[in-house]
Amino acid sequence: MTVSRSNLQKLYDGWRVQVRVIHALMIRELHTRFGRENIGFLWIMVEPLLFAGLVALVWRFAKGDSEHGIGIVAFVVSGYIPITLFRHGVTRSVAIFTANSSLLYHRQIKILDFIIVRFLIEFIGGMMAYVFIGSILIYFNQFPVPADIGLFIAGWLLYALFSFSLCLIIAPLSEVSEAMEKFIPVSTYIMIPFSGLFTLSAWLTPTMREYLLWSPFVNGMEMMRKGIWGDQITAYYSVWNPIACSLIAAVIGLALCRRVRRTLAVA
Amino acid sequence: MIICQNICKTYTHGGGRKQVLDNINLTVERGDRIALLGRNGAGKSTLIKLIGGVEMPTSGTVSRHMSVSWPLGFAGGFQGSLTGYDNARFIARIYQREYSHIRDFIEDFTELGRQLKMPVKTYSSGMRARLAFALSLAIEFDCYLIDEIILVGDYNFHQKCQYELLEKRRDRTMILASHSTELVRETCNRAIVIHNRQATLYDDVDLAVETYASL
Repeated sequence: MTVSRSNLQKLYDGWRVQVRVIHALMIRELHTRFGRENIGFLWIMVEPLLFAGLVALVWRFAKGDSEHGIGIVAFVVSGYIPITLFRHGVTRSVAIFTANSSLLYHRQIKILDFIIVRFLIEFIGGMMAYVFIGSILIYFNQFPVPADIGLFIAGWLLYALFSFSLCLIIAPLSEVSEAMEKFIPVSTYIMIPFSGLFTLSAWLTPTMREYLLWSPFVNGMEMMRKGIWGDQITAYYSVWNPIACSLIAAVIGLALCRRVRRTLAVA
Repeated sequence: MIICQNICKTYTHGGGRKQVLDNINLTVERGDRIALLGRNGAGKSTLIKLIGGVEMPTSGTVSRHMSVSWPLGFAGGFQGSLTGYDNARFIARIYQREYSHIRDFIEDFTELGRQLKMPVKTYSSGMRARLAFALSLAIEFDCYLIDEIILVGDYNFHQKCQYELLEKRRDRTMILASHSTELVRETCNRAIVIHNRQATLYDDVDLAVETYASL
């Protein structure tokens, strides 16, 4: 007996399988990475929290309590949490297929699921860290109540989207070339000035600003900061830059993933 | 039914290339019990992985028209740092089965007791075999891909496999890679001999075993 199903139905079934797989993989990843002892999965927010918190403290003592009229602790936190998402996402994508290859024994698990799961964990961790540290700082008057929470979230999502698209490229490339792995720490480091971490575009010379605004990270960062400080700052951004860059990166990344999957040797 | 059409598989590493399978065509019918015979490195495991969809052929296609288990072998399918129970829970989730049902079945089939609470990496190969078989039997596939592992079990395990797989699930399809000619003669109705990148299908298992023995 043959059962004919519409393509839409097949797409829907496939989607449901992937949702289930991603759910199962998330639980598995959290277990293997953080274990079930002490605070368990809450560890996912500790790293970004420590990073942003300690760096902010150092800056606070090195540079005083404000720069260009905005609080330095809040400024550093708003820069470091997103960059931690990017750097961790990228680092975790290296050799991700080989590391998880024993899971490919189950046909419903796709290599794309590995990247999605690891990135989602970093994404959720970063968000939890942000909410946590933000609430504490707001309570102590070190962080403004976001002026436009919608714009802030939109900026965060675009920043994350572009980071994720880069992971889609880095994951398959790291399987093809081992040299690639050696370049990642230094390139994520060099990336820092182009991420809008230390500066607001308004503080730069117009030429410099023009160049930096080619970076999708800077656009996302400006949106987030405008969402936090509102009228206190002038922001320069285009919503379309991160969207277009993500789209291009994702297309390249997906094509590479597809290619690499065919040659992947599973022990 | 499983149809393999013009399958080629080449592995490349660095500058080296090795063709393992060259233009394999196969049709596995429902209810077939097919033995895969061949010398070490001939490509038995590779063919099983391609049929199971673990690896992709360099060219050609595999189409599966029934549910096919993951390859039951020494490697793969488990997360070593997780316990037997955690692995069972994971498998229940991705195959959308009731965990309690799977748990009861593996407790009964594996007889591993408290060991199921230990990480799988601490298991012996025989214990892994028990767990792999128990999980795949609990999920109930139409076709079982078995890569050597059936031989590592002890007498009791063989008895259980004999009963659960070969008697109770007599209607199921099986593809079995093995060096045990005795096991192949007992259980299989057809056999494939892989040699020099080619696969030859024999309907006469004894003839296949003789050919394999003379390689």
